[in-house]
Amino acid sequence: MSDPIEAYFAQLARRPPERLHRRTTGTIRFELDGPDGVDIWHLTIADGRVTVCRERRDADTVFRTDRGFFVRMTRGEAKPLPAWLRNDITAEGRFHFVILLERLFPAPAGGRHPRAVAGGRGERG
Amino acid sequence: MTSNLVRVMDGNIFVLSEDNGDIEATPSNPSGFFDFDTRFLSLWRLTLDGDRLHPLSLAERDHVTLRFFLVPGAPTHYVDAKSSVIRERSITGGVFEERLTVLNHDRVPVDFTVRLDVANDFAPIRAIDQERTPPGRFYQRIEERRLRLGYRRERFQRETVVSSSEPARIDERGLTYAVRVAPKQGWTTTLRVRSLVPRPDGRDVREQLDRRPRRSAAERHQDLAAWVDRAPQLCCDWDALTNTYRRSMVDLASLRYSPLTLPDEAMPAAGLPWVATITGRDAILTSFEALPVAPELATATLRMLGIDQGSVLDDFRDEEPGKILREFRYSELAAFEERPDSPYFGSADTTPLYVILLDECEKWTGDADLVREYEHEARAALHWIDEYGDLLGDGYIRYLRRNEQAGLENQGWKDSPEAICHADGRLAAPPVALCELQGYAYDAKLRGARMAREFWGDPVYAEQLEREAAALRERFDRDFWIADRGYYALALDGDGRQVDALASNMGHLLWSGIVPPERAGEVAQHLLGPRLFSGWGVRTLAEGQARYNPLGYHVGAVWPFDNALIAWGLRRYGLVGEAGRIAEALVDASRYFQGRLPEAFAGYPRELTRYPVRYPTANSPQAMATGAVFLLLRALLGLEPSGEHLLMSPSVPPRFGRVELLDVPGRWGRIDVIGIGLARPRA
Repeated sequence: MSDPIEAYFAQLARRPPERLHRRTTGTIRFELDGPDGVDIWHLTIADGRVTVCRERRDADTVFRTDRGFFVRMTRGEAKPLPAWLRNDITAEGRFHFVILLERLFPAPAGGRHPRAVAGGRGERG
Repeated sequence: MTSNLVRVMDGNIFVLSEDNGDIEATPSNPSGFFDFDTRFLSLWRLTLDGDRLHPLSLAERDHVTLRFFLVPGAPTHYVDAKSSVIRERSITGGVFEERLTVLNHDRVPVDFTVRLDVANDFAPIRAIDQERTPPGRFYQRIEERRLRLGYRRERFQRETVVSSSEPARIDERGLTYAVRVAPKQGWTTTLRVRSLVPRPDGRDVREQLDRRPRRSAAERHQDLAAWVDRAPQLCCDWDALTNTYRRSMVDLASLRYSPLTLPDEAMPAAGLPWVATITGRDAILTSFEALPVAPELATATLRMLGIDQGSVLDDFRDEEPGKILREFRYSELAAFEERPDSPYFGSADTTPLYVILLDECEKWTGDADLVREYEHEARAALHWIDEYGDLLGDGYIRYLRRNEQAGLENQGWKDSPEAICHADGRLAAPPVALCELQGYAYDAKLRGARMAREFWGDPVYAEQLEREAAALRERFDRDFWIADRGYYALALDGDGRQVDALASNMGHLLWSGIVPPERAGEVAQHLLGPRLFSGWGVRTLAEGQARYNPLGYHVGAVWPFDNALIAWGLRRYGLVGEAGRIAEALVDASRYFQGRLPEAFAGYPRELTRYPVRYPTANSPQAMATGAVFLLLRALLGLEPSGEHLLMSPSVPPRFGRVELLDVPGRWGRIDVIGIGLARPRA
């Protein structure tokens, strides 16, 4: 599977992020603009699991962006909330799921544990 | 400055102007029409035949509507104007609306030229006190009866649309009306100013999201009346308390804000103009203060902050898993990540405070479902204390920013760069372990234990938390107590040395309960001693400390919310006289601010100034100060929920006379509390 977007959704369905709350329930649809038209990805989230399909079903929140930008989010290079503020992604429906997107995509690279930054002086006593 | 500006507001939408209604923003004058963390009008200047207008009077009652009565020209001893102007404004349906009426008092018809100069800089609120060259492009468009001002940067766009009910000559810099007004008659036009956040397809991003329409001014008037009606009623022999209670109730109503995430609930926005947004600390502490009068704010705050809880390590935002945010902004600076505010997590106190509020909220409301629903968040917050808050592994919460460009150096409530210092003025070396953070952690662990045992069915975790709390209390007393001075160190520095300034922070320790009872008296003596107590309240930093300055934001000024927490802490230790003195001083001070306790006021000794001196750039209204009177009342009346009951043991200084708080809501239904300030027997 060479397409990074397909790989991302497959991974999401296989191993949902631990950061996803078990009580999170809802549906979201991604509409991704590409050179060959719009790709549809529909996610159903329940009980800490994510089910993915390609049908255009009703969703609590619909996100639209272009494929290139979406790929950047799947790599943790772009954060969904500022992206929404810049109109790099648009959202319709429940804003709650804009916040939730932060938990569906990887963390930015290079995040350090605060103890590592503090120099790791001393050990826990 | 801010305190002299007048306002209409609805949560995070507000207009700040001069007392004649004009807006002429500069870096030192933060006026404007604001929404979505952005200024949408920076110039709104009215002239009549080229003359500026001067206020005769101003009707400002409730933040919903505002009315200015104006005459042309400068004030003179004898105003004999042949014309006058009325400006009536409101925020209605999220729109800034202004009705202009020109009255001709002459016996002949008069031709008037009414001019409104309009411009905008689309400045992010964070940047309104700075000279800034925005990287985007500005544009103006003249449309049918409308002037459209815009700003575009890549796909990011903001627009202000000014429309007029009456025909006007519109140019790129404003609107001009040439009108003839009959003798003894008036002419009126209604201006509507809309703030738009367009997507590339032109539709407003917010209109694509599920939320209720913004309420009209009439609906908000009704809502305010219902809110005041629903709240407990206060009757007191001392008018000052009744006045500040009423003022605070109205101010708190206007600070209610429904975030996009929680469109059907309202949490408190932190204050005007600088923090009309979602915050962690301010929302939590305001909700805590307001539990006896408006417990629904706590529920909304807990939900909102739970949804936004940190989940990853992100150095830019100073985010860690389980951490509760500091603030959230929608501005251009957040969008382009010039600021880490989407959201920013650089607060070391919000996470334990979140646990404290969740537990306290259940005690008042009996909402056990909320405690069960937010178990995951509360556990993550408790985990944060030990895993991410304890930076050096010595059992204390510390802070150290990882975002060295825009992150905060100090991450307690005293977050200005020079707030945390030694008595001799040296700044504390990072990473700093502030004393009150340890108190909050102690309290959070004990409250976490209660919730684990009673609601989460996890007695093992409860015991673990209780053991940790006991160990923390012992360790804290050993490491923070300065025996030869009889008070707690403000902090430990990065090398574990005591930061020895005498400061108000240790008052919070009484609230947390980490102070052994035998030390409480000494702590109270310092808090109410001449170095910390100004006569109007407890100063942030004591007189005699090298950095003390009566006008220092966090190094000398008096903060009402800080005092309310201290008074409540004193009360918890049975120090009712001391708590009463603070409450009396604060309520007395409120008389000089028309009942509206400001964010902070100067720390001058009472004998020197005779009245509390306003702090120059404070937020007003500010949510935590607005909530202070409710917690002071709780301290005076000794209110403590216990099981299905509200315990009360009023202890009221004589100055207050009789204090009745009627219909206090909670799991007990509604209950009346009555306290009587008895005069001391004559010697």
